[in-house]
Amino acid sequence: MVVVYSTLLMAVLGLAFGTFLAYAAKKFEVKEDPRVELVKAALPGVNCGACGYAGCEAFAKAVVAGKVPPDMCTPGRAAGVAEKIKEILKQNAAS
Amino acid sequence: MRVFLILFSALLINNYVFIRFLGICPFLGVSKKLDTAVGMGFAATFVLVMSSVITWFVNKLLAVSGLEFLRTVSFILVIATFVQFVEFVIRKNSPALYEALGIYLPLITTNCIILGVAILNAQAKYSLLEAIFHALGAGLGFLLALVIFAGIRERLELYELPKSFEGLPIALILASIISMAFMGFQGLIKL
Repeated sequence: MVVVYSTLLMAVLGLAFGTFLAYAAKKFEVKEDPRVELVKAALPGVNCGACGYAGCEAFAKAVVAGKVPPDMCTPGRAAGVAEKIKEILKQNAAS
Repeated sequence: MRVFLILFSALLINNYVFIRFLGICPFLGVSKKLDTAVGMGFAATFVLVMSSVITWFVNKLLAVSGLEFLRTVSFILVIATFVQFVEFVIRKNSPALYEALGIYLPLITTNCIILGVAILNAQAKYSLLEAIFHALGAGLGFLLALVIFAGIRERLELYELPKSFEGLPIALILASIISMAFMGFQGLIKL
């Protein structure tokens, strides 16, 4: 019985807090440049820091802001990430 | 009266950073600049107070249903929720502070002061008001520790130190000296 109750309790708590967070996330949503999301999706997402930024998100922001060239991602070089980023930036240049 | 004793006890006499040595990671991590230290202190205080209120009710619920062994897990759930909430709010309202705090903001979740206060509240069987004041004292104590430490470290930047002491080593030595100073508050209040 204890197993059922504890599972139930944690499920209810988790659901309650999850709902609260989902609501808060909508309420405090920050409008970001949509290109940042696209560039982030193109990156390998390993957060290695080889580009000199704290993580892939920070690097994506810097690339979109034009602060660094798009070929700084070392782990993504073989997979052609730099070309993908250039493509994204070119297609959505005027946004 | 007792609530103020609890407040000052947590703030000075049993200062969580200098006497109980909890929350050392953010204490060393975000004490390089005064304004980020203040931001971190208030963020942690907010999470402390809010999570203490919620964990107080959760603890009552656990006691009623005889599931006290779930205390740690459910408390962490509450804390993580509030940290995430604080992250949303700071990101929306103060992007500069969000950038400055960086990885240390989500790491409030693993700040042992917060779990420590929640568990101590449960163990000491504090009333809701006492729990709130305990959390407030702990949070302000953390803020005080960060501000004192950041102030000293900012000045320390200007001095020329032996190479082997630069950065963290001198910070740890400093922490021990301030900690000894805080020992002077021992025995000020008997709870």
